[in-house]
Amino acid sequence: MTGGDQDEWLVRAREITKVFTTHGRGVLALNEVDLTLQRGSFTSLIGPSGCGKSTLLRIVGGIESPSQGTIEHAQSLKIAFVFQDHALFPWLTVLDNVAFGLKMAGVDTKERNRRSQLWIERVGLAGFEKTFPNALSGGMRQRLSIARAFVTEPDILLMDEPMGALDEQTRLLIQEDLIRLWEETRKTVLLVTHSIDEAILLGDQVMVMSRRPGRIKASLPVSLERPRTLHDMADPRFVTLKDTIINDLHDEVMASMESR
Amino acid sequence: MTEVPLTAIVAKNPIDAELNRSSQRSRRLRQRDLVLGIATPVILLVLWQIASSTGLIDAKIFTPPTTIFSTAITLIHNGVLTHDLGITSLRLVVGFVLGGAAGIVVGILLGIFRTLRAAFSPLFSALYAVPQIAVLPLLLVIFGIGETPKILTVAAVSFFVLEINAMAGVRSIDPQLIEAGRAYGARGRRLFWHVLIPGTLPAIFTGLRVAAALALVVVTATEFVAANSGLGYLVWNSWQLFEPNEMYVGLITIALVGVILTGIVELVARRVMPWSRRNARD
Repeated sequence: MTGGDQDEWLVRAREITKVFTTHGRGVLALNEVDLTLQRGSFTSLIGPSGCGKSTLLRIVGGIESPSQGTIEHAQSLKIAFVFQDHALFPWLTVLDNVAFGLKMAGVDTKERNRRSQLWIERVGLAGFEKTFPNALSGGMRQRLSIARAFVTEPDILLMDEPMGALDEQTRLLIQEDLIRLWEETRKTVLLVTHSIDEAILLGDQVMVMSRRPGRIKASLPVSLERPRTLHDMADPRFVTLKDTIINDLHDEVMASMESR
Repeated sequence: MTEVPLTAIVAKNPIDAELNRSSQRSRRLRQRDLVLGIATPVILLVLWQIASSTGLIDAKIFTPPTTIFSTAITLIHNGVLTHDLGITSLRLVVGFVLGGAAGIVVGILLGIFRTLRAAFSPLFSALYAVPQIAVLPLLLVIFGIGETPKILTVAAVSFFVLEINAMAGVRSIDPQLIEAGRAYGARGRRLFWHVLIPGTLPAIFTGLRVAAALALVVVTATEFVAANSGLGYLVWNSWQLFEPNEMYVGLITIALVGVILTGIVELVARRVMPWSRRNARD
């Protein structure tokens, strides 16, 4: 069954090119990027800052359109986002934030509260249902934004540097949560990150992007077995892969420094 | 035998005692602040009373508080104060509500539609720069000496303050929130009601607070020059008749109206934006 699923693509991007205009000048952000997301796969996207990886994620999610190239979505594809700064609605309580997507989808109050409550408990926010996001810590806000995404039962989860704003300890905790949740639900995930550890630990494959204009420089499969834990970071395969990625990225970062 | 409970006490007590002490300390400080806040004006009033009744300051200009109080009672009994208060409140509330509501609607529209903003925003900014009270004579020419020009000056100042604040509010909503709203299926009307409006509310209430204060200034100034009723008229008229005690009553009543109006705005704000209340308390 999993073999068959592996062949089913949910998103197919072909030769995506994106040009931005800032202060009247055109900037080439993405240059002919190809990307295919298979059902049930976890893809990590890593690259130097400003390489256009967030832009690629937004194009994949359909909230931004490419300047050139085609993007195909499988039929009636449900997409959910976890944003970099969480983008929680400050005027909604924890419960209402989680329930927002369901409300917009027309799910009735009782049903959406039941499903939201379930996810609030799953991410460990039980007891905070009536709290507003402002009163939560960074880690809790992140859990909330993960619950808000998962509750809509999306086919694809797009995460844009979700741990970017967290301290190291919280980041580790949430990574463990994410591994657990992903292994339970097997959602298709595209994760944009600048942490090599995170990319390997969570992903089935790691895509390394070049400096701007962004292209996919390498696509590396992660051979670590699941279920995974933080201890896999000491596995020799992990270390070897990390070394490969560091070398790839190092060249890119050096080159982008020189061109500046 | 006594050692076991003793260690338990030692382990628990210092923390509990410290917590106790600190909560007592903060309660004492809060009580002291409250007492100081009330006592200071009371003491000043008493000093004023003593100074003016002993002739230390001129009682004709600085009427003793007790005299002001009895004047107030008289003015309430003969209906002058209640009538002036009623008419001022009417001008204030009607102008504030109508002008404010129009300002909110227009400001939101200007915030959303770039074309409208380009066409009207510079014009409104220029008009706002003209002190509203300066337009009063023109309004008197157009509408005659009725209630309309007085209410319109109040409405004008409320309109401009809210138009500017609501527009800024729409434009300063975190674009990530709009994007998150869209990504979770809020489009068109739903995006407007579920993301745009709640996101603009804090700016709207900032506008309402400012507009409430300015509206009171404008209504008072209008009544100084172009009315024969209202609290502004009461103050102005008592200057012309040299009745400082009535003037004080008028001034105090105007201040009370201001306190009540901003109090109502504040109450509504807390009602409508429970999230910002929690934030403010932290």
